[in-house]
Amino acid sequence: MMKTEFLGLKMKTPLIVAAGPWNRDGKRLKAALDAGAGAVVTESVVSDIRLDVRPRIAYDGAGAQNIHLYSDIQIEGWERELDIAKSGGGIVIASVSAHTPSEVAYLATKMERFGADAIEISVSNPMGEALEVAASHPQVVFDITKEVVSNVKIPVTVKLSQNTTNISAVAKAVKKAGGAGVSAINSIRCILGVDIETGRPKLSTYGGYSGPPIRPIGLASVATIAQTVDIPISGIGGVENYKNVLEYIMMGASSVQVGTTVMIHGMNRITQIVTELEQWAETKDIESVCQIRGTALRKLKSFDEIKIEPATSTVAGVPCTVDCHKCTSVCMYDAVSKKDGNIFIEKDNCTGCGLCTFVCPAGKLVLNW
Amino acid sequence: MNIRHIAKKAGVSVATVSRVLNHPETVALKTRESIEKIIAEAEYTPNWFARGLNFNKTRTIGLMIPQILNPVHMETAKGVEDVAHQKAYTTFMCNVEDDPNKERRYLNQLMQRKVDGIILICSSLEENDFKAAIEQGIPIVLVGGCKVNPGFNMVSVNFQSSAQKAVGHLIDIGHQRVAILCGNSQGVENEEKLRGYKIALEKAGLSSYEPYVMYVENSIEGGYLGAKKLCELKRRPQAIFTTSDMIAFGAMDAIKDQSLSVPADIAVMGFDNVRMSNLVEPKLTTVDMPLHKMGVYGARLLFDIIEGEEAMEEPRTILLQTKLRIRKSCGHKERIGEMF
Repeated sequence: MMKTEFLGLKMKTPLIVAAGPWNRDGKRLKAALDAGAGAVVTESVVSDIRLDVRPRIAYDGAGAQNIHLYSDIQIEGWERELDIAKSGGGIVIASVSAHTPSEVAYLATKMERFGADAIEISVSNPMGEALEVAASHPQVVFDITKEVVSNVKIPVTVKLSQNTTNISAVAKAVKKAGGAGVSAINSIRCILGVDIETGRPKLSTYGGYSGPPIRPIGLASVATIAQTVDIPISGIGGVENYKNVLEYIMMGASSVQVGTTVMIHGMNRITQIVTELEQWAETKDIESVCQIRGTALRKLKSFDEIKIEPATSTVAGVPCTVDCHKCTSVCMYDAVSKKDGNIFIEKDNCTGCGLCTFVCPAGKLVLNW
Repeated sequence: MNIRHIAKKAGVSVATVSRVLNHPETVALKTRESIEKIIAEAEYTPNWFARGLNFNKTRTIGLMIPQILNPVHMETAKGVEDVAHQKAYTTFMCNVEDDPNKERRYLNQLMQRKVDGIILICSSLEENDFKAAIEQGIPIVLVGGCKVNPGFNMVSVNFQSSAQKAVGHLIDIGHQRVAILCGNSQGVENEEKLRGYKIALEKAGLSSYEPYVMYVENSIEGGYLGAKKLCELKRRPQAIFTTSDMIAFGAMDAIKDQSLSVPADIAVMGFDNVRMSNLVEPKLTTVDMPLHKMGVYGARLLFDIIEGEEAMEEPRTILLQTKLRIRKSCGHKERIGEMF
C-alpha cells in the first residue's frame, strides 16, 4: 500500500477523484470510492443552481473543454447524496463555490453537517465567472478561506488556478488564512477550436481546458507552490496513468487528483491507476508517499545552478530500421544525418539541445547529462 | 387510511413515511417517489391541525413582499418558495404595497395564524414593530435593503459599492456628465445607491451637479418622466444611472420619444437585471442582483432556525455579490466585457 496523508486525512492511496460532473451525485461518488479512490471530491456545490447549456463538454482526443456549471443539486439535496456517497465508508471532500465569504462559509458549514470530511473551496473556475477569476486576488482568497476556516472544524483546502499571475502568492494567502492545503490546478480558460466550415467555435462560450495537455502546466504550478510555501498540495491536471501520479508526487504533491481521464475512460480507470501504482510501489519497496515526495523538486535547478557540460547526442545502437527522418528534420544545427539505417552525428555541429533524443520513436539517440 | 396503512402498503416504517411528509429531502429519491405515489393513490392527507398540536408547528411561513407587481420581488419570492416547497412548507405571501401600516397588520395576522417563521423583503418596519414577534420567539429573516438591520438574521448585498462600481464603469467608458434617477420608495436601498453614485463621481474628480440628481417613482412611468426632464436640460447628461431596471426602461422610452438614441446620445444603466433587461432594445447594461438567491438564502436561514440547527445566539448575515452585466445600453469599448 502506498499510503499518504492529506489535510490530516489518512488515505490508503494518494489518488483522489477530482470535483467535476463525473462526481455529480452520491451514487457516482460511491462508485469512485468503490473503484479504489483514496478520496473523492464532490462536484462544486453552489448556492443556487443554474440550467446547463447544451452541448457543454467537448473533446478533441487530447484535451477537453467544459462549460458545465457546477452541481445541479441544491445544497438541501446534498444531505441525502453525502449519505449515499459515504454509505460504504471512504473520504468525501465537499467542493463548494460562491462569491462572498459569508456565502462560501454557509455552504461549507452545511456540507460539514452533512458529513463531509473536508472542504475544497473553488474560487478558480474559468467558466461563467469574471474575466479575472477570484483566485487571482490573494486578498479575496484570504478573506473567503478565513471565513470558512473559522466556521468549520473539518480541514479546508483551496483549489487554485493557473489563470492568475502569481499562484504562489495565492497559496501563501491560503496558508495565512488557516487553510490546511491547496489543490492545483483548476482547468484553464480555453476555446477548444473552431469549426472552419461553419465558422463556429466548438462550444458556444469560453470554458475550462483539462486533460493531458495541461499536465506540464499543473506540474509547474505544484512545483512553484511547493517551493514557496510549506502546505500540503493536491496535484491536479492531466493525470491519466500511475506515472503521472508519481510525477506530481515527485514535484511535491501529497495527493493527486484525476478527473478528465475518468470522464473519458470511465471509473475503471481509477482501479487501473491505483493497481498499477501499488505494483510500482511494491517493486520499489515504497510504503508511503512521503518517501518519494519532492524527489524531483530537489533536482529542479535555477539557470545559474545548471552546469554547462559539453554533452552532445550520441547514437545508441544501429541500424535504425524505423522508416522515419524525424531526427534529421528536427536538427536545427545540421548535426544529424541518416543513410541506410545508419545515423551519423556531426560532433562539431551538435550543440546538445537534446531535441532529437525526445522525438526519436526508436530511442536510438541519447544525450548523457 | 392513516400513516400506518401507508407505511404497510409501501413496505417501509412509519418513520420513513413521516420523513417523506416532513423532510422529503432526506429520503432517497426512489423510495420517496414510491411512497408519494401510494400517498397520492390513497388520497391521504395528514391532519394538519393535529400536526400543529403535535409538533407545535404549522408548517407554514409568512412572506412579506413590498410590491407584488414588481418583478424584482417576484424573483426573490420564488427563491423563498422554492426552498419552502422542498421542505413541504406552505408559504403565505402578503403584498405590502409599500405601506408600513399594511405591513404591520400583516405581521400581526401572520403571528395570529401561528406561522413558524416570517421573511420580510425590503421591509420598512422599525425595530419596535418586531417586539411582539421576538417575544413570541417567531424566527424572522430580513431580505434586501431593510430599515432595521442589526440584531436580525439577514441576507443582502452591498448596494453602495454596487452602485459605485456601476457609475465607475460609466465614467471609465468616457461619460463625464452622469445623472441619477433615484427611486423614492421606502427602504434604505436607494439611499445607499445614491451614496455610491456620489462616491464614484468624487473618486473620478467629477463634481456633482444638482439637476442631475432626480428622485422619481420606482416605476416605468417614474423613469419616463424623470428622463424626459433630464433630456430637456440645457446641459443634457451623457449617461443616466437608474436605481432600478423599471426606471431604466421608462428612461429609455423617454429618450427615444425625444428623438434621441440610446446609447449614442444618452447611455442608460439599470439596476437589478430583471429578465426583461435582456430583451429590450438596446439590451440593458445593469447591475445583476442575486434576486432568486437572496430568496433562497432567506428561506435557508429561516429553516435553519425553525429546524433548530442554528443555536440562536447570534444573528447571521449573508452578504451576496452583485455583478455588473455589460450589454449595449451604455456603449462599451470591448466586447469581452459582455462575455463574463
